[in-house]
Amino acid sequence: MTKAPITSKVQMPLLMVMAVFLIVVMPVLNMTGHIQDYTLNLWGKYLCYGIMAVSIDLLWGYTGLLCLGQALFFTLGGYMMGMHMMLMIGKLGAYNSNLPDFMVFLGHSKLPSFWEPFYSFPFALLMVFLVPGLLAFIFGYLAFRSRIKGVYFSILTQALTYGASLLFFRNELMMGGNNGFTDFRSILGADLRTGSTQRILYITTAILLVAVIFGCKWLTNSRFGLIQRAIRDSENRVLFSGYATANFKLFIFVVCAMIAAVAGALFVPQVGIINPSEMTAEKSLEAVVWVALGGRGTLVGPVIGAISVNALKSWATREYPDFWILILGGSFVLVVMFMPKGIVGIPAQIQGFLKRFKRHPGRLSKVVQTETEPAES
Amino acid sequence: MDRQGFMTRLMWIAGLLGIVLAIQEVSAQGEMSVREKVAAAITMPDSDNQIAAVLALKLTPSPEIVEWLGKWKEGLVFIYQDETGATIPVLLGEKKTGTRKVTMRRLDDDSVVKAGDGMSVEVAPLDVEMAETSSKLRKAMKQVTDLAALANPDLALRIRAIEDSAIGQDPEKLPALLMLKKTEQNQKALDALDESIAIINLRSVDTAKRVEAAGLLGRRGSLAAFDLLKTIAAEEKKSGNRKMEEAALLAVKRIEAHISTINATGTMFRGISSGSVLLVVAIGLAITFGLMGIINMAHGEFIAVGAYTTYLVQNIFAKGIDLSPFGKSISIPGMKLSEGGMDMYFIAALPLSFVIAALVGLLLERSVIQFLYRRPLESLLATWGVSLVMQQLFRLIFGPNNVQVSSPTWLSGNWTVNDVVFGWNRLFVIGFAVLIIIATWLVLNKTSLGLLIRSVMQNRNMAACMGVRTERVNMMTFAFGCGLAGLAGAFLSQIGNVGPSLGQNYIVDAFMTVVVGGVGNILGTVISALGIGMADQTLQQYLGNPVIGKILVLGGIILFLQWRPQGLFVTRSRSLD
Repeated sequence: MTKAPITSKVQMPLLMVMAVFLIVVMPVLNMTGHIQDYTLNLWGKYLCYGIMAVSIDLLWGYTGLLCLGQALFFTLGGYMMGMHMMLMIGKLGAYNSNLPDFMVFLGHSKLPSFWEPFYSFPFALLMVFLVPGLLAFIFGYLAFRSRIKGVYFSILTQALTYGASLLFFRNELMMGGNNGFTDFRSILGADLRTGSTQRILYITTAILLVAVIFGCKWLTNSRFGLIQRAIRDSENRVLFSGYATANFKLFIFVVCAMIAAVAGALFVPQVGIINPSEMTAEKSLEAVVWVALGGRGTLVGPVIGAISVNALKSWATREYPDFWILILGGSFVLVVMFMPKGIVGIPAQIQGFLKRFKRHPGRLSKVVQTETEPAES
Repeated sequence: MDRQGFMTRLMWIAGLLGIVLAIQEVSAQGEMSVREKVAAAITMPDSDNQIAAVLALKLTPSPEIVEWLGKWKEGLVFIYQDETGATIPVLLGEKKTGTRKVTMRRLDDDSVVKAGDGMSVEVAPLDVEMAETSSKLRKAMKQVTDLAALANPDLALRIRAIEDSAIGQDPEKLPALLMLKKTEQNQKALDALDESIAIINLRSVDTAKRVEAAGLLGRRGSLAAFDLLKTIAAEEKKSGNRKMEEAALLAVKRIEAHISTINATGTMFRGISSGSVLLVVAIGLAITFGLMGIINMAHGEFIAVGAYTTYLVQNIFAKGIDLSPFGKSISIPGMKLSEGGMDMYFIAALPLSFVIAALVGLLLERSVIQFLYRRPLESLLATWGVSLVMQQLFRLIFGPNNVQVSSPTWLSGNWTVNDVVFGWNRLFVIGFAVLIIIATWLVLNKTSLGLLIRSVMQNRNMAACMGVRTERVNMMTFAFGCGLAGLAGAFLSQIGNVGPSLGQNYIVDAFMTVVVGGVGNILGTVISALGIGMADQTLQQYLGNPVIGKILVLGGIILFLQWRPQGLFVTRSRSLD
């Protein structure tokens, strides 16, 4: 894999501009009233998706593991934060009870013991990391130990997500069944419905996004990242060189699960609802679409992909509800086939195209053919 | 007890009297239809004569008696007095809109009641009197109808009536059952009779009879007597009748053993049939994923293509269909076949769903998949995009709701062996799976296409060197796999709902089946499908919760892959991927 020169040169300044725009410019414009609260809130949601997209990129783009369970980790993080916020509603719910509404509705009179510690915010925050991290550790340990890789890994993570969503749809789990959690009031004592709380949440998300990108950039440029990419390109060679590839993969898998979980935890207070329909393999695949569209293996690309696809979705589901899915599916097929490097890769693609065209004007069609079919694995 | 016995005797005397009377009447008037007899009974002057006439019907038991006596009892029969003063039992016709009067039909010959001038008479419903029934009369009627039901010429209904007669353990029903036992020819009906008689005898005054009855019920493994015997065992423990208690307990134990055998057999049967469903769904995937290595996430949508093809064929055989894709309305005329023709539609739908799904598969292979053979992960993503598009197209063409596909009449019903129910549709599932497996095996092993497929899958480059046109083989193989998915769809349309997300319900299971079976091995797929189906049904049976069972199966699969990461059957090769 050779690096595309233009992309890498542009990437750093592009990242800085993006960071300043998201963290400073947007909130300031919102305070001065140029951007509506609704729009800012919407962007907060996009950025959460962006964080999840970065975690997928770290897994897929840099390690070659296509995980269809990222939506599961994202939702689990959201559920952990949701549990805390459900308890913070207190007596303000529809039944004026200390219990969350759905428990009263199901006829329970006592809070299940595993809910008790979630009264504490630090505990909930810890669980946001621990629960998805632990699940990823156990699953990853089993999967990587028996050298499940490639598409098998994808299929198994898909099954994991499917199983988990079946579980969360049950009322017996005491996690709200198919309605999930909603109707949140406050976070850390601040009223969720005020613009200022939402703005702070947005800024937190934006800062976290930029931090995650820089963290991943540092990680992938380190020696660790080198091995990571070597695993992607030829795992057996790395293995035969004496590296325990399973441990590397396990580490990155757990880290990515946690990143997705934090994104989920920030997503819930901004969107105000979490339910098991977020937990499906389709949602994971949708997130993979953002990464593919933005350009995998670039870290910035996935964020651009997440924002643009979701912005497109917000618009298209309003304007053309019947055709939105056709557009999404169709564009996905086209991107996979003709733009293997995504939006971020377009300049490099054009550049390479022009270069070859100058050298061999007559062999254009053949060039295109080889361009779209780089050998993998 | 005594009083009841007296009453019964009285009834029997009355019955005999009735028989004598009836014989006289029959000889006087020749053969009368049931309707005429009932009508005659209604016009009898007083209650005793009515009872006698009704009991006389016992002589000629037929299901018709149940119908007409029932109408009388429910107050649907009215008495009309014509100009001459004769009383005529009648049924009232439908009330016409605008008038408050209705026409009447005679109960005896179903003709419309006409006045002297030939015009049909119309009366207001309140002006005619209802044919009354006294409680004694109703009791007599019940006796007659019970017996009549027992004489039903239809075997299944007769057995049902015999079984029903045991409910309530009414000793008054014993004579009728014993009478029937003398004439009954059919072994199944005789068994049912024995069982019913024994159940009634459980409440007999004679302990020896009761013990004998309990013994019989225990040996037969009678499910109907299970709860009853349990209560009796408890009762007798209190009253201290040791002999009866022991007999009842033994019978309960025997029936329990019988029930657990039934459950085990039933679970096994359901396991095999749900495994067969998995197998039919996964066999196409075993070709495209297993042999070719393409992750076709749109596989489920090919199943839906087959199911919708079946839906279209069904409608074309019937009265046609109107579709409105993209706002344009298309009307497909139907052939308007009768019932018998409709039952044949499925035979026509099978090959069609294979061909159409295969054609769509060919299109997909040419347009998308042929560029992605060396990039399996990306073929996963692209085909997922395709699956989204296809699902949405189904929604736009056929609507977002499930469509109705009726299964042929020969698929409903079941076959009961020793209290284990084998549904025809489940048997059909198993038979269908066996056929598909045999057909696939034949294609892969006995045709030249199969030879080419196997050679290309084993070593593409070598095959190409030998002059095999690998591109074409890929195309054919993929189309074949998709066609099998289409067949699966035609088949699923018979046992479940058909909707745009039909395929999504099966895709995870199908992939699991292929992965567990070992990629590239049809036999592995067969064994893993049956194994997963059995595990699923067994867990469901013991946990009583399908979702937890499913989750455990998924967890079990992940653990299984620890033990055999490559699945059940490993295709050995020296190459390192």
